Amino acid sequence: MSLLALTGITKNFGEGNVLKGISLEVQEDELVAILGSSGAGKSTLLRLIAGFEKPDQGEIVFDGNVVAGESFLPAEKRKIGIVPQDGALFPHLNVYDNIGFGIAKDPNKDSRIQQLLKLIELEGLEKRKPQELSGGQLQRVALARALAPKPKLVLLDEPFGALDAELRDRLRNDVRRIIHAEGVSAILVTHDQEEALSLADRVAVLREGRIIQVGTPTEIYNSPADIGIATFLGESVLIDGKVTDGKVTTDLGKLTALNQVVEGQSGVVAIRSENFYLQPNPAGDSEVVGRVFFGHDAVVEVQTPSLKIKARSNGPFAPEVGMKVTVWVRGAVNFYPTK
Amino acid sequence: MQKPPVLTVVLGVFAALLAIVPLGYLVLRLAEGIEAASAELARPRTFELLSNTVLLVVSVSLTALVVGVVQAWFVVRTNLRYPGFYAVVATVPLAIPSYVLALGYVSIFPWFSGFWASWLVLTMATAPYVFLAVSAALLRVDIAAEEVGRSLGLSRLQVFLKITWPQVRTSATAAVLLVSLYVLSEFGAIALLRFDTFTRAIYNAYRSSFDRTAAASLALVLVALTLVIVLLERRYRGDYLMQRPANPRRLKQDLGKLQTPVTLLLALFGLLGAGLPMAALLNWTMIGSSSTDLAKLVSATLSSFGIALLAAILVSIFALAVSIWVVLHKNKLGSFIEGLLWSNHALPAIVVGLALVFFGANVTPWIYQSIWLLMIAYLILFLPNGLAAMSTPLAQVPKGLTEVSQSLGQSYRKSLTKVILPIASPGLIAAAALVMLTVLKELPATLLLRPTGAETLATRLWSATEELAYAQAAPFALVLVIIAGLPALALNASVRKTYAEVNEE
Repeated sequence: MSLLALTGITKNFGEGNVLKGISLEVQEDELVAILGSSGAGKSTLLRLIAGFEKPDQGEIVFDGNVVAGESFLPAEKRKIGIVPQDGALFPHLNVYDNIGFGIAKDPNKDSRIQQLLKLIELEGLEKRKPQELSGGQLQRVALARALAPKPKLVLLDEPFGALDAELRDRLRNDVRRIIHAEGVSAILVTHDQEEALSLADRVAVLREGRIIQVGTPTEIYNSPADIGIATFLGESVLIDGKVTDGKVTTDLGKLTALNQVVEGQSGVVAIRSENFYLQPNPAGDSEVVGRVFFGHDAVVEVQTPSLKIKARSNGPFAPEVGMKVTVWVRGAVNFYPTK
Repeated sequence: MQKPPVLTVVLGVFAALLAIVPLGYLVLRLAEGIEAASAELARPRTFELLSNTVLLVVSVSLTALVVGVVQAWFVVRTNLRYPGFYAVVATVPLAIPSYVLALGYVSIFPWFSGFWASWLVLTMATAPYVFLAVSAALLRVDIAAEEVGRSLGLSRLQVFLKITWPQVRTSATAAVLLVSLYVLSEFGAIALLRFDTFTRAIYNAYRSSFDRTAAASLALVLVALTLVIVLLERRYRGDYLMQRPANPRRLKQDLGKLQTPVTLLLALFGLLGAGLPMAALLNWTMIGSSSTDLAKLVSATLSSFGIALLAAILVSIFALAVSIWVVLHKNKLGSFIEGLLWSNHALPAIVVGLALVFFGANVTPWIYQSIWLLMIAYLILFLPNGLAAMSTPLAQVPKGLTEVSQSLGQSYRKSLTKVILPIASPGLIAAAALVMLTVLKELPATLLLRPTGAETLATRLWSATEELAYAQAAPFALVLVIIAGLPALALNASVRKTYAEVNEE
């Protein structure tokens, strides 16, 4: 049985539905990312799971009990940890008291706090006030505070949003390590696809109040359910195509579709920018018209006879502007028939 | 950094001298007659005054805290119906000078006097300060931290006590100290309600004898008490742990069945703090309308306006000079003078009035009983308000503008008058207007120092109430609330709003 099960959750704040029938399951010891752009309803969903809001319809079952639906269990009774966006440490308490806040009556409080301090690698900083911590330290303390009472589930609300890129990378690894060390399930809400893909065991894509697709990061990335997800998850080039002889005929040649196709159907294929291969060819019919160099890779803009594409190329070997090339598409593509 | 313009320095130093000389003189003269003064203070009467004063200060502070926090909590943190209306209700007593509030009650209940009466009136008069500070703090409480608290298993009450209150406590403490300063220096209401505290005793001692040692000695004890609170206040001022305003939806808790009782409670506070006494005064004005001396009312209004206008101009000139000095050219002397002038903000008006009577009669007889001595009193009393209100708009002018103007060939002085002052002018004008409205309501210093024969709304009202002629006093009270109190309230609210908006950026 799953640890958390949401069925048919809707929520309306009077300005149109924020959530329109959400169903989702989270297993024990699983990290699920809910990925969506701002306004998709991510935070509302998290607050419903935590117990700060009541769903209008639908049911939430947590750890074998109905917590919303027929009966309602408020946040303080659910034992679900939360890590808010900016950490939200209690500003009047030091690190030690922040972490110990939820286990005030626990006889093993001190050893538990020490254990967590070690886990988050902040030993020796227990006397510090939140104002004296860096952004990454704040988030780690917030995580330790949520984990202290040993909840079965923690909710992470865009926990890395306010940090700079390098810190975000490090903290991501830390969080993954800490959560696995504690053997707790987690739901991470984020608008950052890289974060969701790199951190989660499974990703649920939320758009306009609906979950559009759930799957492992690889599934989601390689087989996005629709064009929207395809472009949201990474740079994709969209090209018109038509199914003939079981293949998709496009301006870039005949491509193999990953999904089931129907003969004669027309639609669009989405090609990830890293799936283009640019072969230098003085007699090629395409020309490099732009190049943005990032070091490890480069984004190369290519004008083909019929369209302009952006291809990601191995940095050191990226063709220069003005070079003639032939464009190849590597591997199979996703085909989305026109409705 | 540029040197401050000479004129600002001259005005600043002059203001500082005005602010310390009369008080210094009071202290020196008392020190000379130390034996007489200590004999005066050794009387059991002093102890009685002290205990009365402390009792009133402490009890009013506590109840104002409770009333203000209750109002703020329900208005800001619950789904109370018409929260905007109740926010206005909670601040309206600010528009009513506390002696007018007291007059309203006395005019309904002639027996209304003594400790409990003073306690009620001053609680209602000061709760708005707590309400404003605490509601602003409650709006900025970290809601996410409260939610974390609940996710860790705390009940709502525990969340309030352990997470919300610690974030509001500093603001609340600062407001309570402000309230205690207010009560300590309050004269009109307490005198009207005949409760013996230092301010009333000082006034009576001054009125009853030509030897002013008694009044002056008591005044010094009052100053000492004030100093204690100011020192306490200094520890708390500005020590806030504020967040950005929270999502209103997450801020509001459902009142459920409590909606009606809470509404009634807030309405009751409104009734006690403004509705009841103002209705009484309105009623007296109607009853006495045939006998109201309109000529007196008009002439008192005009002379009130004249005096307040002159005071506002003088205070604004000095406040602007010191603000320019301190905000645009911060240096040690400037900061010192600003601190010195600011330290007067807690000085009871009765003490300032008394010191100037003393000083004027003995040292500068040529301005004694002229309007200029009164103006000096207003300068001492209201320069702190003027400074606080004027430095904000000046500080908000982007720093680089003067430099840009100078790089375009304007002299520093031209840049100041053509760039900085025009940009800051709306705020500066609002500040001057606020000073004027505050002066209109001032009672004790005006009472002591007004030029012979000059009558303002406040002094007319005072003499009418001394004769228990409520129908005569009521129209003066009403006019005072309408021309001074309500505009000041509105202006203050808009100043606070712009200030908050600017600080959001």
